[in-house]
Formats: sequence, C-alpha cells, structure tokens
Amino acid sequence: MKIIGLIITVVTGALLFYAAGDFPAWSDPASPASTYLSPHFIEKTMEETSVPNIVTAVLADYRSFDTMFETAVIFSAGVVCFFLLRISRREDEEPETRYYRHVLTGVTIQLKEGHKMPPSADFERIDSMWTPPDLIIKTGCRLLIPFVQLFGLYVIAHGHHSPGGGFQGGVILGASVILLAISHDLRTAVRRMSEKLIGILCAAGVLIYACTGALCLLLKLNFLDYSALAGILHVDPITARSHGILMVEIGVGIAVLATMIWIYNNISSAGRYRQGL
Amino acid sequence: MSEQYPALLVVVPLLSALVVSIAGWINKRLCFPIAVAALGVAAWSAVGLLLRVLDEGVIVYKLGGWSPPMGIAYYIDYLNGLVLPVVSIVALLNLIANKKGIEQQFPDKIGPFYTLYLLMVTGLLGIVVTGDAFNLYVLLEIAALTGYGLLAMGEERAPLATLNYLYMGTIGACFYLLGVGYLYIVTGSLNMVDIARLLPPLYQSKAVMAAFIICMVGVWLKMAFFPLHAWLPNAYTYANSAASSLIAPLVTKVMIYVMIRLMLTVFTPEFAFTTLAVSNAIVWLAVIAIVMGAVLALAERNLKKMLTYIVVAEVGYMVGGAWLGNRDGMTGAILHIVNDALMTLCVFMVVGNIVYKVKGYAFEDLQGLFRKMPFTMGALVIGAMSIIGVPPTCGFFSKWYLIVGAISAGHYGFMAALIFSSLVSVVLFFRVFEICFYEPFADHHGHDNHPGGMDEAPVSMVVPLLIVAVILIVVGLYTGDIVNHVIQFAIPETMV
Repeated sequence: MKIIGLIITVVTGALLFYAAGDFPAWSDPASPASTYLSPHFIEKTMEETSVPNIVTAVLADYRSFDTMFETAVIFSAGVVCFFLLRISRREDEEPETRYYRHVLTGVTIQLKEGHKMPPSADFERIDSMWTPPDLIIKTGCRLLIPFVQLFGLYVIAHGHHSPGGGFQGGVILGASVILLAISHDLRTAVRRMSEKLIGILCAAGVLIYACTGALCLLLKLNFLDYSALAGILHVDPITARSHGILMVEIGVGIAVLATMIWIYNNISSAGRYRQGL
Repeated sequence: MSEQYPALLVVVPLLSALVVSIAGWINKRLCFPIAVAALGVAAWSAVGLLLRVLDEGVIVYKLGGWSPPMGIAYYIDYLNGLVLPVVSIVALLNLIANKKGIEQQFPDKIGPFYTLYLLMVTGLLGIVVTGDAFNLYVLLEIAALTGYGLLAMGEERAPLATLNYLYMGTIGACFYLLGVGYLYIVTGSLNMVDIARLLPPLYQSKAVMAAFIICMVGVWLKMAFFPLHAWLPNAYTYANSAASSLIAPLVTKVMIYVMIRLMLTVFTPEFAFTTLAVSNAIVWLAVIAIVMGAVLALAERNLKKMLTYIVVAEVGYMVGGAWLGNRDGMTGAILHIVNDALMTLCVFMVVGNIVYKVKGYAFEDLQGLFRKMPFTMGALVIGAMSIIGVPPTCGFFSKWYLIVGAISAGHYGFMAALIFSSLVSVVLFFRVFEICFYEPFADHHGHDNHPGGMDEAPVSMVVPLLIVAVILIVVGLYTGDIVNHVIQFAIPETMV
C-alpha cells in the first residue's frame, strides 16, 4: 500500500510540475492575473470605495460575500468543536467530588457527593491534578494582556489603512484571553467570559456581518451593497462603503475572538471545562 | 421581492443558523420552529427562482452590487434552477421528520445540531447557486466542515469513520481549489462564465488540462466515485440518522452537479469529451463503480450499510451518464440528480424511523416490521421500486435515459452495468422485504411467538416520509415535463 501511495504522490506531483510549464513566468507583469482584474482594483479602489488599503477593499467589499462565508466557516468550526467535545454534566455519571483551596493559607477542602461551596473570594475551586500557577508568569501575563487587547482593537480598527482587519485583530484579542487561561487556569478565564457569553458572541459576530448585508437588502439594494447604508449614515454612497467595511470587520473580529476562545476551551479541557491544560 | 430570491435562498438559512445558535443558549424550544421557517423560505425562494427561470431564462444576481468579474455573481439557469428546489425541499422534509429523533439523541445539544444542519444546507444551496468558482470552494468548505461535525455524532465508530472522511474530503476540496488556482493563473478570473469566455484560446495549454483533471479528481473524491469511495459507507452508516438522511441524498448529488457544471459551463463539452479523450475510460470506471457498489451491497447484512453501497453505485450511474458524451446520457444524469436525491432520502428516512423505534438496522432487527410499521415499510417499498427502476416511480425514467444514452454512445458495457445493478437491487430489496414480512418464522413448538400489533413511528416522522414516497411517483409521472421544459435547456445545444 505504501508503495502505491508513493507512486500516486510522485505521479501527481509530476503532473503538477508538467502543467506548471505553461504558467506565465514568475512575477511576470504581463501575466493574465496581473493584467486582467488587478489594474481595476489598483486604479479604482480609492475612487469606488474610499478605502486606501486595496486588500481590505477586495476582501470586505468586492468579494465581501466570500469573506462572510469564511467567517461562517470559522463559526462552524467553533460549533463543531462544542458539538463533538463538550461533555455535559448529565453525562458524567457519578456526582463529582469537588475540591476547594483556601487562597491565603493553601488549605484544601474536599466536598463529596456533589456538594457545592457558595462562591466566595476566599476559596477557589481546583481539580485533583492541581498545580500552583507560577507567580512570575501570572503577574507577567496580567501586565501583558491589556496591551495585547489594545493592540488587537487597533488592528481591527486600522484595517482600512494598514495590514490588519477583523481576522487578525480577532485572533489577537482571542489570544489575550487564551493567555489568561494558560497563565492562570481555565476556570479563571471562564469566570471572565462564560461559556454562554462566548457561544452567543460567536454567533453574534457573524450575525453583525450578515445583518449588515441584509440591511442593504432591506434598503432596496443588493445583498452587501454597502452604498445602501448612505441614507442611514448620512454620508455619500462611496464613504458608506468604507463605513460598511468597518461594520463587517467588527463583526469578523467578534466572531474570531469568540471562536478562538471557544475552541481552546473545548479542546484544552477535553470538553469538561475543568482546569484546562 | 422576487428579484432578491437568489440572496434570500442562501442568506435566510445562514441568518437563521446564527439565530438558532443564540436561541439554543436561551430557549431550546425556539430552535426547531426557526429552522423550519428558514428552510421554508429557502424552499419557497428556490421554487420561485425555478419559475422565474422558466419565464425569463438565466438570472444574474450581483452580490454587493459589483458586476462580475470584479465581484461575485449568482447565476441561476435551467441546471441549478432544477437542483435548488430539490436540495431545499429534501432538507426541509428531513428536518421535520427528524425532530423527534434529534430530541431523543442530543437533548443537550439541540441548538448546535440545528445550527450545523442549517449551515450545511446553506453551504449546499450556495454551492449550487453560485456562478463564481472560488465562492463555490468557500461554500464547499462550509458544507464539508458542518458535514464532518454532523456525521461524527453517532455510534461509537462514527468519529473514526468521519476522521477518514475528513482526510479524504479535505484532499478533495484542496484539489478543487488547486484546479481553480491554476485556472486563475492562466485566465486571471474566478467567475465561471468569464473563465469560460477566456478559456477557448488556451485549450491546448497543459495548465488548463491539469486544472480540469485536478478539479475533476477533487470532485470525485467528494462524491465518492469509485475508486475514491472507501470513506463513504462507514461515515454514513455510523452517523446519527438525521445527519445521514440529510447528507446521503444531498452531498453526493450536489457534487455531481458541480461536476456537470464544470463540464458544461466552465469548460465546454467539446473540451471535456474530445480534447481530453478520457471520457471512455471514465465511463468504464463508472461501470466498475456500479458493479462494485452492487456487489458490495449484496455482501452486507445490515440495511443502512447496504444503502450506502447503493449510493456508491448510484454515483456511478450519474458520472457514467454525464461522461457518455451525448444528450440522452447527460439528460439521464441530470434527471437522476433529482430522482436519486429523492429516493435516497426516502430509504434513509425509512432507516431513521426504524432506528427510532427498533434501535437497530441490522437484518435481524427488521423481522416482522411489515406488521409493526406498515406505513414506514410501505414507503420503503416505493423507495426500493424507484431504486430498482420500476415504472411509474421516478427511478425508472432516469435509468431509461441513461440506457438510451449508453446505446446511442455504443457503450454496451455501461448498459449492461445498469441492468446488472437493477437486478442486484431486486435481490437486495426483496431479501429485506422477505425478512420484514415473513420472519420471525412461525414456531412449531407451540410457544406463543407472535409479536405485538402495530408500533409505528410518530406521525411527525411518518407523514414527511409518505410525502417523499408520493413525490417519487409524482416526479416519475411528470418526467416528460421536467425533461422538455427544464433539462433540455440546461444542456448546451452543441451537445447532441
């Protein structure tokens, strides 16, 4: 079997190389890809959408519909992770034993048969495999996280002018919360952003994108034709395109942020939402 | 309103998937009505689009108001105008039928299940409606990803079988993307009609040929065309019934549609059939697919797995018909997309009902089912008749066109394979009927061995199933109209 696989791989690779012989030369300015549509985008983008960053304009305006579904792909990845991995409490057969640690003294208490302790600042819930978080890492991350988040917001907001946008900014924002989960534990992160909040945000992000499109539809233009928003935003139709892009970028940012955290939570804790990695 | 149907068709299921996802966290009971309403709107738009296409011909919808090739456009012509209603109606009926089963199987995860279901339908509808080669890939991704999620939830072996599917499906999607990339390098465009306009001078280019071959192989992987079918039977068998009765009828058929779209619209039939000169070999592969599918189905002692091998054989029908290279074969293939989606839905819904009641689908579990579940079994009889190809069920007519196509192409191997597979289907289904009808055999030792009376699945499961069974016959009776008013115009006139 391995030999057959090797032969197929080699033959396919050879076919691809053989076909590449008819490609235009590498970075040839006269190649169809650079002469057919690109000149239009390079020359007209500013005029048609008032967005200086051509990549953003193509991504979120000319081919905005693709980008909406790319966001939906990310959303579905999050939902699939949750759907397959999350183990609800009902499926865990026995009433679990809970451990609580007194934060100041380090004394651990064991509560059997599903008894719970009311939430308080003095005790934190831990698992049987608990390891104390490192003080230096904990403090370092706590200092770092606000700046990471600020940068994430900047990347989302500045996508019109510089490299960036919703996907990149959302990943940075999501990473900041994941950093919290890694440096402390998953419970701390889930206390800040509950599972329900993440699940709702994840859908809400894509919903912002799709609703922006649907709003254009209600305003009697085609789906995602942002110039329809001119009336609501009190700007001219060209500027409205730029604002429309910002709206969908925010949606993308929220969706990516929430999905990153959702996937991390489900995978790192194998769907049990305990301490995590 | 009607000029926005192309957008509504895809956007309403997408929006509702998101709303259902949020509703799942707030009140689970809202999920089902929202999902049904959304698919109802989608089905309404799809039928509306078909009627508009019949009236005015091809519809172009510019997304974002950008005209192609700058932006993305939807093209609805006779080919996808016919497939869209089928996809949306199959999804709607299956959703209604499986409400009880879904609540029984995933009481905690109703929200995510409906979300994935709706996203999957969005993906499939988007694949069919789009006129942009890259947009097709994006929606293929959605349909695939949600499909993996839905199929992996099932029996113990489902995750492993789905992982296998995931590897194969991802390779298939990558191949398609690679092919589109090659086309973009040589033409600079992603719009299907635009590519078709730019391609003819380049038909001698090796890159274009490679692009066509890679796209085809990718699509074959996705549709489980022999010898790339190995992932399908296990993935579909071990999944939960709501997912398998959505995915088994639709995914393979939508991929056949993509193949035909590539052959007829993106490339020209002349290029596919004469420049490449591989069509004969592909029809022979289809012959092997049909024979192997039938033989492997014969070896199974379990209803659901037997049906999955029939799906593999049916894929052979359609690929073979499309590659015969004549009008009748192509008509048969397109008609069979419609018919096979409906009859696969019918038999898989029957399995869903049996699983709901009996909790099994091995042959031993089927004993005495005619007495126990007469309506479900009645639907199975009609579905089976259609798969065998007994008039007036629809399966007969598409098989007829395929056989006529095979004869006029002079490809008697394909004709023989079609007849062989019909005969094997007779054996397959009458074996099932025998078990359901006569077994358990009367016990002569005087023990009271009579099973109880009727124990039919709930009304909400039986009624959609019976509707599908009736549709099988109705579509069969109206085949002439479908062919003369729709399919005839879906095939370019250059093809004879």
